[in-house]
Amino acid sequence: MISFDINGLLMHQRNRYPVLLIDKISSVVPGQRATGIKCFTYNEWFFPGHFDDEPNVPGFVQIECLVQTFIMTFLCMDDYKGMKTNFVSANNVKFKRKIVPGEILSIEANLKSFKRGLAIGFVTSAVNGEPACSADFVIAVPDVFSRFKPKSLA
Amino acid sequence: MLEARDLSELKYQDATMWDSVGHMQLMAALEDSFGIEMDIDDIIEFSSYEVGKVIISKYNIKIDPVA
Repeated sequence: MISFDINGLLMHQRNRYPVLLIDKISSVVPGQRATGIKCFTYNEWFFPGHFDDEPNVPGFVQIECLVQTFIMTFLCMDDYKGMKTNFVSANNVKFKRKIVPGEILSIEANLKSFKRGLAIGFVTSAVNGEPACSADFVIAVPDVFSRFKPKSLA
Repeated sequence: MLEARDLSELKYQDATMWDSVGHMQLMAALEDSFGIEMDIDDIIEFSSYEVGKVIISKYNIKIDPVA
């Protein structure tokens, strides 16, 4: 089974503190799926501001955790290791549960298609087995993507 | 909104939806719809509707004239 600790994540994706959010990839099947973990502690930059009397994880942080797990489905492969990625779309986003300090988000990412630098897939997550955030993503890998733009205007 | 009569003049990046992302999605849709796998050179050369028709014909697919 392939897995990545934080040093492995730093080698395979370009997100860095304070944007690199996930803690590890506990298993990955290259080109198919990845399972990630994010442990939330009160010592996160966003908790004091969201909110001071009721700290909970902002939605955009949850989405970023999901997509950072998702991109590992293809960045784990040598051909794409360390490449930058861009959002193309995030659809069907759902937040089903508040996440508070001390909780662990378990993330399951599935890659449906990866062609010419365009990755399409869906991601679900849970806290203690309870469904949390989920979304469908389209992500571009510009370094791959740009090789296939029409010649006349590339 | 594109009209059928505009297709013959349509070029890459003429329409909002046919940007670089739209191009990859269009190529993927053609491959899925017709069960083909396009060559890299064909994907790069596919810069207009008319050029695309010629390229697609290499895969034994004929696009009927718009009524």
